[in-house]
Amino acid sequence: MTPVAECLAAFIFGTTVGVLVQRSRYCNVAALRDAMLFKTYRNTKAMLVAMMIMTLGFTAFITVGAGKPMHFDVGLNTFIGLFLFGIGMVLAGACTVSTWVKAGEGNIGAIWALMFTFVGMFLFSLLWSFVFWPPAPETMTGAPNLAGLQLGFANAATLQGKTHIPAIVFGATQTLVLFGIYRAILRRERTQVAATIDSRESTACEAWSSAPAAPGAIDRETAEQSV
Amino acid sequence: MEFFKKTLSPVAALSIIAVLDVFLFLSVGAWTVGGGETMMTGLIAKLFMGQSLDRIPFWSVAFPPDPYYWKIYISLGMVFGAFVGAVLSKEFYWRMPHRLSEWVMLTLGGLLMGIGIRLAFVCNVSTFFGLTPEMNLGGYLAVSGILAGAWVGTWIYKKTLEG
Repeated sequence: MTPVAECLAAFIFGTTVGVLVQRSRYCNVAALRDAMLFKTYRNTKAMLVAMMIMTLGFTAFITVGAGKPMHFDVGLNTFIGLFLFGIGMVLAGACTVSTWVKAGEGNIGAIWALMFTFVGMFLFSLLWSFVFWPPAPETMTGAPNLAGLQLGFANAATLQGKTHIPAIVFGATQTLVLFGIYRAILRRERTQVAATIDSRESTACEAWSSAPAAPGAIDRETAEQSV
Repeated sequence: MEFFKKTLSPVAALSIIAVLDVFLFLSVGAWTVGGGETMMTGLIAKLFMGQSLDRIPFWSVAFPPDPYYWKIYISLGMVFGAFVGAVLSKEFYWRMPHRLSEWVMLTLGGLLMGIGIRLAFVCNVSTFFGLTPEMNLGGYLAVSGILAGAWVGTWIYKKTLEG
């Protein structure tokens, strides 16, 4: 594929994502924050379903040597980087997708957050130019590099290469785990709905039993005395 | 058009995106956003600083600015698609944060996201929709990191709401 064709494919994909995310109000921040804070899972379920489809699709093609997986060493920087990112996205109320989507809807706050994402990247580029950590992709070997706090590179393709078990088998296993989490969420939602219905019914019963009798009504004790 | 009159189910939307992402994975690579944003940062810095940007090793060694970097166009596509969706559904209007605390949170959040992406080489999209489905070791490290970070962020967010 030529660079122009790659850019065109990326733009078409991005445009479709922009329309679908805007129409569905999907947000990665909500997928994590709402599950932790409000125990609601509208976005979490969507994220899990997408991950299941992608896991099966990617590992199926990796099995036959197709596809273009990401290739770089990972290590402590991966954990710390995403830890900082996780705090940042909850504070900003938007992740990398929703900042672009909200910016497209005219949200000045999202544009502001995006500008400071760029500023953060530039500040990090200055810091990196002094410490040279994490190692630049050109110096990565794929092997563990403890001095650089790097664990190296491993994915479904390397697993297949080492174990001679097709990558799709590992993919199917991961999909089952994700499906288990999805089922647990559905069960939790059903429990929440049942609890809400019970709570409403008991509130209604209490309201009915504690309501004052209608004017003119005779209570049972008075009626029995009069007989 | 009916499509732009009602809210789409996020499960349906993300399922379509997932299938398209598998095709993108076959042609250029899985969906990612942070790399494109980094390249945009380099191109904007180049615009302001010119040749002096080359004196910063990060931009000459690790990430030389290149306008033909395909990941840039995913982000540009997303903002364009969202704009089209918002206009056609009559949901486009300028929204401005009103409180100072919101501006502070957006500024800090943006900075942390930018630093985090460059430190890890990945963002949340690559974490959930790239590395982890590829069963990359980095995906599991990144998921652990983002869950811990989101928990801390949620705690701060909760305290701010209560305050």
